[in-house]
Amino acid sequence: MLKLQRWYKMNLGITATQYLEQVKNGSLTVEEFMAKTMERIKKVEDSIHAYISLNDDAISQAKQIDKKLKAKEKVGSCFGIPISIKDNICTKGMKTTCASKMLENFVAPYDATVVSNLKSQDAIITGKTNLDEFAMGISTEFSYFGPSRNPWNTDYIPGGSSGGSAVSVSALECIASLGSDTGGSVRNPASFCSVVGLKPTYGLVSRYGLISYANSIEQVGPIARTVEDTAFILNIVSGIDTHDNTTIDKGKTDYTKDLDAGIDGKRIGIISEMIGEGVDKQVASATSKAISKLQSLGAKCSEVSLDSIKYSVATYYTIAATEAGSNLARYDNIRYGFDFDVEGYEFNVYISKARKNFGPEVTRRMILGAFVPSAGYLGKYFLKALKVRSKIKSEIEQAFKKFDLLFAPTVPVLPFKIGEKIDDPLSLYLLDINTIVANLSGIPAISVPFEITQGLPIGMQLFADLMQEKTLLQAAHALEKTTNLPGVPI
Amino acid sequence: MVKREEIVHAANLIKIDLEDHEKYIEQVEKILNYFDILDKASAESESFVTQEMSLDKLRDDKYVPFDEKLITQLKNYKGTFVKAPKMV
Amino acid sequence: MTKIGLEIHCQLTKLESKLFCSCKADYRSFDINTNICPVCIGLPGSLPLLNKKAVEKAAMIAMALGCKTPQKIAFFRKNYFYPDLPKNFQITQYNAFGPTSIGYDGNVLIEDKEIRIRRIQLEEDPGRLVYEGTSEKTQLTLIDYNRAGAPLVEIVTEPDFETPKQVRLFLNVLADLVENLGVSDPSLEGALRVDGNISIHKGNRVEIKNVGSFRDIEKALHFEITRQQSLAERGIPIPAETRHWDEARKITVSARSKEEEQDYRYFLEADIPWVLIESSVIDKLKKNMPESISSKKERYIKKYGIPLQVAEVLSSDKFYSDLFEQAHNEKNAKEIANIITTDLKGFADTKEQREQLKLTPKHLSDLAEAVMNNIITRNSGKLALQEIVKTGKSLSEIISSLDLGHVDDESSLSKIIDDVFTEEEKAVSEAKSNPDTINYLVGKVMQKTKGKANPALTLDIIKKKLDSR
Repeated sequence: MLKLQRWYKMNLGITATQYLEQVKNGSLTVEEFMAKTMERIKKVEDSIHAYISLNDDAISQAKQIDKKLKAKEKVGSCFGIPISIKDNICTKGMKTTCASKMLENFVAPYDATVVSNLKSQDAIITGKTNLDEFAMGISTEFSYFGPSRNPWNTDYIPGGSSGGSAVSVSALECIASLGSDTGGSVRNPASFCSVVGLKPTYGLVSRYGLISYANSIEQVGPIARTVEDTAFILNIVSGIDTHDNTTIDKGKTDYTKDLDAGIDGKRIGIISEMIGEGVDKQVASATSKAISKLQSLGAKCSEVSLDSIKYSVATYYTIAATEAGSNLARYDNIRYGFDFDVEGYEFNVYISKARKNFGPEVTRRMILGAFVPSAGYLGKYFLKALKVRSKIKSEIEQAFKKFDLLFAPTVPVLPFKIGEKIDDPLSLYLLDINTIVANLSGIPAISVPFEITQGLPIGMQLFADLMQEKTLLQAAHALEKTTNLPGVPI
Repeated sequence: MVKREEIVHAANLIKIDLEDHEKYIEQVEKILNYFDILDKASAESESFVTQEMSLDKLRDDKYVPFDEKLITQLKNYKGTFVKAPKMV
Repeated sequence: MTKIGLEIHCQLTKLESKLFCSCKADYRSFDINTNICPVCIGLPGSLPLLNKKAVEKAAMIAMALGCKTPQKIAFFRKNYFYPDLPKNFQITQYNAFGPTSIGYDGNVLIEDKEIRIRRIQLEEDPGRLVYEGTSEKTQLTLIDYNRAGAPLVEIVTEPDFETPKQVRLFLNVLADLVENLGVSDPSLEGALRVDGNISIHKGNRVEIKNVGSFRDIEKALHFEITRQQSLAERGIPIPAETRHWDEARKITVSARSKEEEQDYRYFLEADIPWVLIESSVIDKLKKNMPESISSKKERYIKKYGIPLQVAEVLSSDKFYSDLFEQAHNEKNAKEIANIITTDLKGFADTKEQREQLKLTPKHLSDLAEAVMNNIITRNSGKLALQEIVKTGKSLSEIISSLDLGHVDDESSLSKIIDDVFTEEEKAVSEAKSNPDTINYLVGKVMQKTKGKANPALTLDIIKKKLDSR
């Protein structure tokens, strides 16, 4: 048993770079790797529940690629890499449920752009991963299909909302994943599961096919075991998309190039509001260590204060809830959803009854989202939040005049037990305080696994200015090289 | 202090039935109280413009049919219509 | 003092595609739910893609109505639940954060009354509800989304109208305007829809919805004025409400009051960036805009000496003015204008007639030349036109096949006139004293020659003969 497990970790724990090398030099076939991946999934899923659905054609798709390779035909840059996709990103022909009963039977008639980009490079989708319902949550406990579990300690949450994605990568059930990050939903679970998670600049990656929760804020982001792998995936999914008018042109940028540039001389601002009060002492100590590491690499670290951080959680949830209320209004079970015939029902009665099938967190945010822009409260909450958001953007802009990068721990606390905070929604919201500022201002941010303490992962976060992913990835890569973390225990 | 009826009204706007979900009203009230922290933030004359795009980058006016069988992939009645609940 | 305001929805039927997706803008020929895509039925993950031409056409309408266009326009969500609304919100425009819709602060002159245009905005049409079955118990509400996402321009006026007649005139002007601009075909069912609001003597405002046609809005407004006046006379306050026009009974009926007042919670549509409309773009659109109806009318009168009535008819009908523009030159303009506005009557009134019309601009110019050069008489011209409209044959073919040439030579005319004199002895004797009877005799000669007789010459000969008697 132990021997098999060691084999898995040796072989399945390879990076994308290693995988590509091995497939190209013939020491590994696509089918072989996919078959082992599927076996691994079967073995561990009961204890971690990363996936909602699996791609039954994965192995035959892998065989196809081997065939092409053998015939010396052209194959996409992914060479059959197994990639999992968060279940709020549309995959044609496969269900996309958003971990909600409201989309229980929904099969999208089209692929999200990020998915078709991966497919056209011959990546293979292993399956759709678990999430907090409609991406609203920080622990993946709000999934209609039950929680995912942290592979480092299955009593603990894996983070959220892209919990399933982070778990699948961390537990070697795939090589990389696509999640989505609205308030920290890629970085938070990446931190809690000891993997790398990137939220790109708003507009760098297409949202066509990402099922909207807060559309002025969210981005699809890659999750992988190394920074290099993350950059590799970013290359494939980023760039202008004619299906999404909010996308930005990245030109010919190659994010994997010059990853080794290092951070000598770089000015890094340590965000003071994120390292003081409210931070677990283990996280605080890890943060200090990380700062020392950065300094030892030649970076110039000093503190920077972002005064508006204290309003960022209220600002984020006010705006996100408003957008969510509107984006989720379409789920009335009339055109798609779950089995429940309209006949005999009056319109309002039917809709209210159907929408009782939203989970508790989504329900709360719907109500908040209808309240804060409503007549009488619009100015106090929603419009005010828009103004504060604008102020946060200015503060960030100012900070990047003095610094090349900003730094803070990804989450102020260690992962906690499943069920521990589920009845205190506000306490969960406050855990987003370190990640939200990147979403509100649109800047890119990345979580890098830094330490394992008491068997639980702690990640460190770097931020860069708009469209400065190269700088960000270089710094993350440099920090990553200073770590030597154990393999996942499961 | 937000009134209970106002939270119920908001729920009605978004077609959420709060009939047997008293706890939601409490939780939402608590969260709204937290949002009051925004009152303390000073932020005047800030711009609301997020992204901009010039007219010539917009989509060209061309007819491109999608898939005339799309309706069969949705809930449908006799393969053509979508059924709606009765409008009173 | 009656105050009436209008809210008009104009479909941009001349566009190829819908406002936010590439499905067909004019949905009318499609089978149920076959003109749909993930975007216009709001499938999860879909994103709206604004139609460039829609913005341009809407800007043209705004300019034609004297409106200003902001440098940046934005879109908003209007949130409410209804079965014809696939996303349960409508993407529209709204004037928050300053003027952000495609047009604002315009005006139009109707019979010397200035009607101010409050704003013009782009928005998407919802789908259509259809009902199956008649029994209250078993009736099904069915939804056809073919129309969902079709491009609309909403025009909102200030309550500057004082009479229903002004409203009707305005709507006719508007229909001609949008047709002339080439943005919409107002003859298509549902292409132009009107809602109104009306108050009398500074009383409460009543909204009127569900009016089917332009003629009905005038009727509905008349009814409302009467209804409100009768209430006012009896000292009963007029409630502010929404009323529906009942087509069958020709009355307005109070619409069931909604349980709660609707709160649309408008906010910016983040999937559509603010669109920059540089002044150079506006200038280019202005330059390339089709000439306005009033400008055409002025030009016809000033440049070609075309009489006012004729110029009015010619300029306000796009079909006619297009024909005119292609057929005329400096010399024959007046004649062609005349032919189009008088002789074509009955041949090119309806859409079907116009589509099947075999008349070409060349026919018109040939015809005008022939009449002006006395090759055929004006009456013959009318006959020739009838043939052309039906067969499309060339004028020269028709002239010979119908033998329409002039009867020009004195001797043959003289003989014909002698014949008429013989047949009309009574008239001849009257003619000496009564000059009107001379015209009668000329008419008889025209009849005899099937209109080919040269009228001037005929008159001349008749006078001479009468004198010599």
